[in-house]
Amino acid sequence: MSRPAIILKLILGLLWVIIHLTISLFNLWSLLIYNLQCYLISSGLLRKYQYLHLDRLNYLAIVVDSKEAKNTVKIRQLLSWLSTMGVKHICLYDIEGVLKRSFEPFMNGSKDEKARESLDIGASMNHSHYGYKNMVIDCLSGSDGKEGIAKAADLLCSTYFNGETHGNGKKEPKFTEADMASALKAVGCGGPEPDLLLMYGPARCHLGFPAWRLRYTEIMHMGPLKSMKYGAIVKALYNFSQKYQNYGKLLGFSTLNCSPAKSMNSF
Amino acid sequence: MYISRLYIYMFPRAYITQNWQHIHHLGLSRNTTRLPCLDRMAGKQNDLAEALVRSGLRAELMPQHVALVLDGNRRWAQARGFTTPEGHEAGGVALRKIVELSCAFGIRAVTVFGFSQENFRRPQASSHSSIRSMISVLTEEVDYIMELIERLIRDNMDLFMREEIQVHVVGDPSRRPASLQDAAREAEEMTRSHSRYHLILAICYSGRWDIVQACRELATKVQDKLLRPDDIDESMLAGHLATNVLGDQLGCPDLLIRTSGELRLSNFLLWQSAYSELYFTDTLWPDFGEDEYIKALKAFQSRERRFGQRKVM
Repeated sequence: MSRPAIILKLILGLLWVIIHLTISLFNLWSLLIYNLQCYLISSGLLRKYQYLHLDRLNYLAIVVDSKEAKNTVKIRQLLSWLSTMGVKHICLYDIEGVLKRSFEPFMNGSKDEKARESLDIGASMNHSHYGYKNMVIDCLSGSDGKEGIAKAADLLCSTYFNGETHGNGKKEPKFTEADMASALKAVGCGGPEPDLLLMYGPARCHLGFPAWRLRYTEIMHMGPLKSMKYGAIVKALYNFSQKYQNYGKLLGFSTLNCSPAKSMNSF
Repeated sequence: MYISRLYIYMFPRAYITQNWQHIHHLGLSRNTTRLPCLDRMAGKQNDLAEALVRSGLRAELMPQHVALVLDGNRRWAQARGFTTPEGHEAGGVALRKIVELSCAFGIRAVTVFGFSQENFRRPQASSHSSIRSMISVLTEEVDYIMELIERLIRDNMDLFMREEIQVHVVGDPSRRPASLQDAAREAEEMTRSHSRYHLILAICYSGRWDIVQACRELATKVQDKLLRPDDIDESMLAGHLATNVLGDQLGCPDLLIRTSGELRLSNFLLWQSAYSELYFTDTLWPDFGEDEYIKALKAFQSRERRFGQRKVM
């Protein structure tokens, strides 16, 4: 190889290293800024995060990767933080039921009737007061998700089939969403729709959280459980409190009259 | 090696045009056959390789099924002083581009949330004249969107035929106007033989509706004594969902993208999205182009995704 080619190769190699270094430094800078912000929020130095308006947060869901859910120390710390922030009703979910098994020995079976009635909780939900001040906690697993919907479908079909064997002639089944909701309650998989769902884990997915209850839930990915931060949770709750939801309704076409619409979303 | 990597970062297009023969390291080689169909396939493979190398994406980590929630047309129009119809038209243009890119990247299936059942909802009827005029305006918007979707289906038939895309329209057919029904039926008929790519248009669709209609189908089978209620389980229910047109392998999206900064599913693919990587971006849908799509795909490829033992649909 000729000398100019070698020099060119070295220069290009150097440029490549510089580009990678720049990108890495940028990522590091972003991480530092994020950690600094979380620290400032935790220490109460950022005023706008000091008072959380959680009026719209009736029900918070926490989805945890099952591998990370085994870290019960972190889970308890998370629950403690949420209790401090004033969250009243929480649902813990992991697909393999690790959280259910971990927290089951501590369940005292006490029930908060008012909370159940106001939030339309299903008949046989497991929940308890964990010693976290005024906080009700539910634990769900994959059996409450897709399996639960399948059981509800089984119940609907059985009920319909039994009705038909006593009836005259065949009628097309006319199930409605209300029928499915009732069936889910009957099989013990009913429950309120979370207003906010926080995901802890490597992947940004809800891991089979009960699908029927996810229609308009705000979903935020919080990263790995082991690196959870108080400030990050405060920020998530603050951002949620600033959100506007129109629940799928179209809010004005404005279009044909050529005046700006006040609405935001079409979904 | 240094030269190719530097070129990818700094001069991606120059790299492609000047050094495309290096693409063979992706397992492709220049096709010297004289058969036109093989030339066309080789051409498409080379296009795919070029697209992937250009974008820095890895072919082996490409999602097979991407779902899209097209949000933000109205805000996009507002921000630019356009009317809402113009925003929706721009959204249609963006959709065509993303479908073309998906084919270029080898993404087998794309599901698009075109219109939700919730979008039909009206404010409570009242004698108040402003409410009545709002209801009238909303009806106009719904009619316009339905007409736009019909036009998009018809105007993009050339793309569907060229890229061998099979079109599926899912959702509650009873809520769609007759002309849209006809357009959907024609598109499905004309593309029935295509198997390379799939495009699902979810129109008048909702996730809950999907689950309930699956139950109805199962109940009908129970009624016809084709199965017993006890036989109903997760996989059987999943097999009757609207997205089952894609089969078990492609039925669930690997990546679900929602634009305009909203962080929710809005009743879209509630069952199917259990293991979907959820990617929320602040970009408004008409601005969602190649760069944004590549960002979403890169975010997907960078995630550590493990799902334990529960990989059922």
